[in-house]
Amino acid sequence: MGGPKLARMAWRNMWRNRRRTMITLTGIVFGVLLATLFTGLGDSTYTKMINLAARLTGGHLALQHREVLDRGPSPKRFIDGATAKRKLALALPEVTRAEVRITGHTMLAAGGNSRGAAFIAFDPRAEDTTTLSVLEALKEGRSFQSSRERGIILGRKLAEQLGVRLGRKVVYTMTDKHGEIVTGLARVRGIIKSGADSVDAGICLLPIDAVRRVLGYGPDEATQVAVFIKDQRQSGRVAARLGGQLDDAAAVTWYQRQPELAGFISMKETAALFFELIIAILVAAGIFNTLFVSVMERLREFGIMMAIGFSPGRLFRLVMWESLWVGLVGIVLAALATAYPYYYFNVKGIDMSAMVSKGGAEISGVAVDPVMRVAIYPEHAAFIAAAAVVATLVAGLYPAWRAGRVAPVDSIKLV
Amino acid sequence: MEQPIVELRDVVKSYRQGHVDVPALRGLTLSVRKGEFVAICGPSGSGKTTALNLIGALDRPSSGSVRVEGQELARLSRTRLSSLRRDRIGFVFQAYNLIPVLTAYENAESVLALQGVDARQRRERVMALLAEVGLGGLEHRRPDHLSGGQQQRVAIARAIAADPAVVLADEPTANVDSETAERLLDIMGKLNTERGATFIFSTHDPRVMDHARRLVRLVDGRIESDETR
Repeated sequence: MGGPKLARMAWRNMWRNRRRTMITLTGIVFGVLLATLFTGLGDSTYTKMINLAARLTGGHLALQHREVLDRGPSPKRFIDGATAKRKLALALPEVTRAEVRITGHTMLAAGGNSRGAAFIAFDPRAEDTTTLSVLEALKEGRSFQSSRERGIILGRKLAEQLGVRLGRKVVYTMTDKHGEIVTGLARVRGIIKSGADSVDAGICLLPIDAVRRVLGYGPDEATQVAVFIKDQRQSGRVAARLGGQLDDAAAVTWYQRQPELAGFISMKETAALFFELIIAILVAAGIFNTLFVSVMERLREFGIMMAIGFSPGRLFRLVMWESLWVGLVGIVLAALATAYPYYYFNVKGIDMSAMVSKGGAEISGVAVDPVMRVAIYPEHAAFIAAAAVVATLVAGLYPAWRAGRVAPVDSIKLV
Repeated sequence: MEQPIVELRDVVKSYRQGHVDVPALRGLTLSVRKGEFVAICGPSGSGKTTALNLIGALDRPSSGSVRVEGQELARLSRTRLSSLRRDRIGFVFQAYNLIPVLTAYENAESVLALQGVDARQRRERVMALLAEVGLGGLEHRRPDHLSGGQQQRVAIARAIAADPAVVLADEPTANVDSETAERLLDIMGKLNTERGATFIFSTHDPRVMDHARRLVRLVDGRIESDETR
């Protein structure tokens, strides 16, 4: 009696006690549903946060001076040949955008007020909201019209602290590539209102060529090339490939630049994995219970089967087939049951605005979208499905072994 | 002289009940030759079921020797015993004991399928056997859609399908009415005479004893009489 016959027999056995099987299947369906929504929520949220962080800072990875990561940013740590490096990045199929920038810190002064802030100097002809998310929050005024323009865009709180509004002058002070203190003058062109304090109180934008002139940089010198890729999970791989082709610069990933954010996500993912493990154990315990009871109820039948020539191995395989069927049918039903909730939470999401404070929600300086959506990575969905099937198989091992250990004479009780 | 199909020599079998060993067989010696139609009878507790269990390789003796077709069962592993039961021994149980999820046809062919017999051969043999036991047209019914007598006939077809050396039938007529019992005994008698199948029954039923050509009477685990007709 080969595999197909055993599989058919196991399939029929599975439906002998429909109610019990349906209860077990319901357990699998709920387990998979919960795990899928929970994991999908995490995947979506973390991807959104990482992409936001990339658009807020230096992309998914940044090509920058080798010493920046260890010693911190400084106008003295710049890269030459920025255009060539940008082209090198854009040649990779994973890369969608690569933009040349100068970033650093500056002291802003206006009237009698002064405040420190991080600055991002960019080319307004090349960049838009897809690479620089803060431009989305430009609620007052406008962006720059040229890279040489003497303009500045301030965060709302920064502008308030400096006591300036649109059209007013601001002096920015920084150290140039030789370590000398230099200043630039700019008029306020726009005000950013992101809702995140770290952005509104701590960031200003400048046109890249205006900053080059102030810092004494050449036309192809900059502090970084911000590289954006299709799938943030490939950041490490792309960085390794690009890093190998650069002699005078390093390719630094978002998680190297923002270890707090990476740590937060990693901690959350570990917690999610633990939660999923608990779900898997609960599901497996339910399946184990069903299969074990089902085997114990059929000891006499197994004894008969042994008597007519079924080997212990065949009985083991029969029960393993039963547990595999439970797992596979459970997965199919779970896929059907998960489809609509997944669609709903993917399209509509869960609006958490009411729970977010007025200043907006942010984690490690990255603003969080108050509408949480579910979007699971395909490999995570496959993992959940595989884990459910493996859990059913593991749960079936002992009952299957028990079935093969039946002593025919004890279970048949001939008289 | 032809070797016996089944041979028990000085077989002792005791069961442990609490701290006491209860003897079921006390030095049983019995030979059954090919083609015999033997009924083992005796009162409850006389050891007839224990004897069938030992011959059927379902249990091991406390001492003594049990041989089927010359093979000493005590020397065989669990897997070899399982193969022996599949290939050389057929069972007919008192409570039919068909596999409930299989149809009459599938139950009858199960031993052949376990042996790996080709599907076409299986079909030819099983369909002929089911017709022979009067179940033509009921092949696709599951046990719960068959009467007791019909189920027992499927069990007989299953037991005989693989041409075993011996068919062990435990009280095969105990759960059926008189008419069905006669019909079953006729079928088994016919299989014995026409196919040369060897049958060993354990029974209380006088009808079975009447049909038997050899009657072994057990009392207290020993043979009281062994009568060939």
